[in-house]
Amino acid sequence: MRPDFYRTLLSPWPWLVLTVGAVMPLLLPNYYLHILTVTLIYAALASAWNIVGGIAGQISLAHSLFVGAGAMLSSALLVKLGVNMWLGMLAAAAVSAVIGALVSFIDYRFRLGHLSFALITLAFAEMAEIYVIGTDFLGGASGLFLPRDTGDITQFQFGGGRGAYWVMLGMTALCILVNLAILTSPLGYNLRSMRDNENAAQAIGVGLLRNKTLAMTISAVLTSIIGTIYARYLTFADPYLLASPVLTIEIVLFATVGGLGSAIGPALGAFLLAPVGEILRGQLGDKLPGLHYFIYGLVVIGVILASPGGVWSFIKSLGRRRS
Amino acid sequence: MAILAVDNVSKRFGGLVAVDSVSFSVAEGEILGIIGPNGAGKTTLFGLISGFMPPSAGDVKFDGASIVGVAPHLLVRRGLSRSFQIVQTFADMSTLDVVTTAALVRRPLLEAIDYAGHVLARVGLQGKEHLTPKQLSLQDKKLLEVAKCVATDPRLVLLDEVMAGLTLAETEAPLAVIRELNAQGVTIVMIEHVMPVIMRLAQRMIVLNFGAKIAEGTPQEIVENKAVVDAYFGDHVDA
Ligand SMILES: Nc1ncnc2c1ncn2[C@@H]1O[C@H](COP(=O)(O)OP(=O)(O)OP(=O)(O)O)[C@@H](O)[C@H]1O
Ligand SMILES: [Mg+2]
Repeated sequence: MRPDFYRTLLSPWPWLVLTVGAVMPLLLPNYYLHILTVTLIYAALASAWNIVGGIAGQISLAHSLFVGAGAMLSSALLVKLGVNMWLGMLAAAAVSAVIGALVSFIDYRFRLGHLSFALITLAFAEMAEIYVIGTDFLGGASGLFLPRDTGDITQFQFGGGRGAYWVMLGMTALCILVNLAILTSPLGYNLRSMRDNENAAQAIGVGLLRNKTLAMTISAVLTSIIGTIYARYLTFADPYLLASPVLTIEIVLFATVGGLGSAIGPALGAFLLAPVGEILRGQLGDKLPGLHYFIYGLVVIGVILASPGGVWSFIKSLGRRRS
Repeated sequence: MAILAVDNVSKRFGGLVAVDSVSFSVAEGEILGIIGPNGAGKTTLFGLISGFMPPSAGDVKFDGASIVGVAPHLLVRRGLSRSFQIVQTFADMSTLDVVTTAALVRRPLLEAIDYAGHVLARVGLQGKEHLTPKQLSLQDKKLLEVAKCVATDPRLVLLDEVMAGLTLAETEAPLAVIRELNAQGVTIVMIEHVMPVIMRLAQRMIVLNFGAKIAEGTPQEIVENKAVVDAYFGDHVDA
């Protein structure tokens, strides 16, 4: 790992943000805490997606599949078979890892370009949604209700609002940390070289299959775990939310607005956009459904015109100009 | 023993025979020049040797073992490195990052970063570590192509027109690097159109025309070879 990894960890900023984040539940009313929790879920998702979509530059639209696996499979194992949700989380993460590795192998084997990769991963996600909706064990079209959250951590219950928030805060921090670790290690160099030019990357010794698979597997596992937490938080595993490719589109959008490929950008994008979407959905959802998508669209156009590298690269360029 | 042995290698693209039963071998420590008119199949030949495309027929041996079907990055690990005629740019990486990635082939990260800095300085790109390859001039891009090869610590490098488009004065920097590499025992196979340059550098040359090898010999023998002169000045009858 490069020294700047440790320097970032030892600098006060991340700890300050974490501390402020950690005391939020003590200050905020429930409704805002809910919005912040959902925002953290999206920040973590965008951050986990960034490993493949940003650092490795492969626009994966398969990620709703991993969220769905994490949510639906672990819920089904619990509700239908009484399997402890911690185990369910691990089982779902393992399934996601295998599917992720398979997607990478197909990508490598058939030398998919960026567009074909996006389309094929989208096809995977669509099939997964149809499969979940058609499978009784996974709750079918009506989804699965989870038992009430009594705060028993051994049962993957975190005590509702505050507990779930803290868990998601930790998960988001973990995802950002993994991004930072990748960026400052050989894997990051390899992935970035592949993103820009696969042939040239091979010519300097970068193995495509190994690196692609590694990135996709790490991303899939993190995404799947977030899916399990999301379902537990909602107490309801809803396939139309958690296994729908629309979810991936939101993730991609947040990551792009925040800044693809940087450790912090994608989470930042989620923080800028997810609350707006969540509030609009809550306030105007019945009068103007879909308004938040329209606003997202405008913001994306605005940000991409103003700073193609996303908000984070804009902030960095401000910093550079001042110094 | 020959470090590289190309044995009756061919490559067909549909009806076009881009490389036509070419054989040659390269001794360890040698500098071999490859010349030939545009479209003669030189770059394709490099693609076949470096694992980027499978030959339609024939065999390539590196260090005595066949390398047909071995992936390019594994060949790099074994010490066979190539540059690209069409300079390869990386949009978002600095030149230092690119060369560091290459150096990672044989070194842990911190050493690789260090070594990449040295390699950049050695090819004459010091002070340009934090530019992206796109911001470099053509001459510097070509130097970066050489730096990427060097940073992998190769035993054999394939250089594809690293001096094309440069003025004679500009060729001094890459020439010096290539000589130095060779002095350290690295075997070099280079494609070059700039005749005065390759004549000075190569100990032996082969000439391709329409995919086939039409001549082989010392630079002096090559310039006096009638078939070569015909190939270059079009004084031949197409079959
Ligand atoms: N991938 C490909 N598919 C089809 N034809 C190809 C391909 N690559 C090369 N060719 C053709 O093969 C022939 C040899 O091309 P190649 O690039 O090897 O020539 P070259 O000797 O390197 O030429 P130059 O001096 O212009 O670089 C050309 O006719 C070219 O059009
Ligand atoms: Mg060529």
